[in-house]
Amino acid sequence: MSDGSLKRVGAIAKKEIVEFTRDWRTIIAIIVIPLLMFPLLFIMFPVLLESEAAELDALELSIIIQTDALPENLGENISFNGIDFSVELLPNLSSLSVPGNDLERVRNSSTDAVLRLQTNEDVWSYAILHLSTSERSNEARNRILNVLSDWEDSEVRERIEQGGMDVNSTLDPLRWDGEISDADVATSGEQSGMILSLFIPLVLAIWTYSSAIQPSIDMTAGERERGTLEALLCLPCTRMELLLGKWLAVATITGVGVLLQICGLLFAIGYLASSSFIGVPQLSMISIGLIVLSIMLFAIMVVAFELALAMRSHSVKEAGSILAPALMLILFPALFTQVINLDGIEGFWFAIPVVNILLALRELLMNRVITEHVLIWAVSSVIYASLAAYYASRQFNREDIVTSLS
Amino acid sequence: MSKSLLSIQEVTKNFAEVEALQGISLEIYSGEIVGLVGSNGAGKTTLLRLMAGVYKPSSGSVNLSNGKPVASMRQELGVVPESTGLYSRLTAWENIRYHSRMHGVPDSIAWARTEKFAEHLDMKDSLSRHTKGFSRGMRQKTALLRALAHGPNILLLDEPTAGLDITSARTVRALVRQLRDEGGTVIYSTHQLAEAQQVCDRIVIIHNGEIRADGSPTKLLQDTNTQSLEDAYVSLTLDQARTRQEDNGKESAFSGWWRRLFTPRAPDTTLEVNEDE
Repeated sequence: MSDGSLKRVGAIAKKEIVEFTRDWRTIIAIIVIPLLMFPLLFIMFPVLLESEAAELDALELSIIIQTDALPENLGENISFNGIDFSVELLPNLSSLSVPGNDLERVRNSSTDAVLRLQTNEDVWSYAILHLSTSERSNEARNRILNVLSDWEDSEVRERIEQGGMDVNSTLDPLRWDGEISDADVATSGEQSGMILSLFIPLVLAIWTYSSAIQPSIDMTAGERERGTLEALLCLPCTRMELLLGKWLAVATITGVGVLLQICGLLFAIGYLASSSFIGVPQLSMISIGLIVLSIMLFAIMVVAFELALAMRSHSVKEAGSILAPALMLILFPALFTQVINLDGIEGFWFAIPVVNILLALRELLMNRVITEHVLIWAVSSVIYASLAAYYASRQFNREDIVTSLS
Repeated sequence: MSKSLLSIQEVTKNFAEVEALQGISLEIYSGEIVGLVGSNGAGKTTLLRLMAGVYKPSSGSVNLSNGKPVASMRQELGVVPESTGLYSRLTAWENIRYHSRMHGVPDSIAWARTEKFAEHLDMKDSLSRHTKGFSRGMRQKTALLRALAHGPNILLLDEPTAGLDITSARTVRALVRQLRDEGGTVIYSTHQLAEAQQVCDRIVIIHNGEIRADGSPTKLLQDTNTQSLEDAYVSLTLDQARTRQEDNGKESAFSGWWRRLFTPRAPDTTLEVNEDE
């Protein structure tokens, strides 16, 4: 490529980026949202959960206990857990779980739950009637279950002691010795890589595609619709230079968006979630280099493909209605790739479009550089990226793209 | 006679089923203003795009006088398309500078030329404004400045005075004549006969994709034996003008069927209307 050609490609890319960034809405969509999305989720979601939990804890609940004999300490524990109760006699039913005449009482919330308790010599039977679509009723059920669990535990211990046996050795005859985490021979860096490999490729694939949609459409079908393409096609630049310039601009905008989103995600995980959850992955220089290569090949393919589809379209509306559902072509392979077991994986997986790069990223984030796999995904990705670029160049060489629809 | 610059030989251009241009042959000479006159859909814009190398002829050839394809002279070409093609988020100067850079012209030279012509067009104060709020006339003038900034030898102007007020239109015409006097060649598409008469050295009347006449205004009057160019034009274009058709994109059978499915039929005019209802 000559010096003049490079300058023209640079001028096209620069103009596209300048024009794009002058619309504040696109800055919010491409820069602010990706950067803040995960940190906000990580901050707001726990806050929301905590406030909901506190609200439930503060609830004063009322239940009915139907029993032929209520153990004294059980009644005390129920009261202690913020539940008022009244005691009734057990109705005559085929099983304690059959609602019988109590169905309406629970459904119309005249009581939050009904605990049925029956003794039969040494064994107790119970059932809790509740309304699973009501938060109050669910909370009542959960508190009753906790109280019953504690009461059962104390009953078990008492009976073991009465039988003259040691409680601890009877209940816990098999124990792990030492710290469980000490027994894992994977380093913390490798563990981090494993965790990151579960969502970084997914985020990367989906965000690369989705954040390239808007600039791709704006720079192709948008130009066509606004009638700015004709003047551009009369300039001393080739269609290939035009494609390269626009590709560079879309790839830059998309790259910034994806990078910011990953930064936001890692920041959220590292500082906002429990800090021991994830650390820095341990990667060799070869792995890092191959990660960069795989992302570049993926971006070339995706952006060229989107530019081609958008350039084929006669209007922004048409381009949007093609590119948005085409996200499924990325989403399904991306989700599918997450469940593939990497141990002993066959080579052909690394030749399937989209799947190949996502599997490669998963392997590389775990610092696994397997020459056979690298060769397959690198060669197949170059072929797919070349095909996408060729398809895009064909669309850019179409004569009818000059026709303005405005 | 001036030397030949551009040679169009037996050119035909088809869009799907429509023959937009049929057997067009034309020589463009250096230093003249050629007016392409015709109704909407006559083929003026298609011919301009062929001259700019944006379209390739379906048959025939569009070459420079040295035999090279027209695309190789884009460096010397300044184009004002029908749609002006300005970027609304860029200022007028940024629009101009973008095209100049694509021509490889340094910003300082492009700025000096832009300033000079902006003075003529009363646009100097608007160069730093975003083009979003520009009127049609201002957009037209900006597009003209953009076409001139890199110092082209050939100007292709598609309806350059459309939307301009009388004074601005007169200024543009004067500018075009000045460029011709400085040695430039201008190809000027319009459907205003009076304008073509005022500006052009030579008028080419195009109708339904054919050249119906080619010559100076005086020659056209002589050839058609009429008293005015309007009469001459009417006598040459008596057959009904066709509608504009440029989109080369073929619609798939399914797309066509689907579109027709939701398109109501035209009212049946043969139905009798009961006036009492």
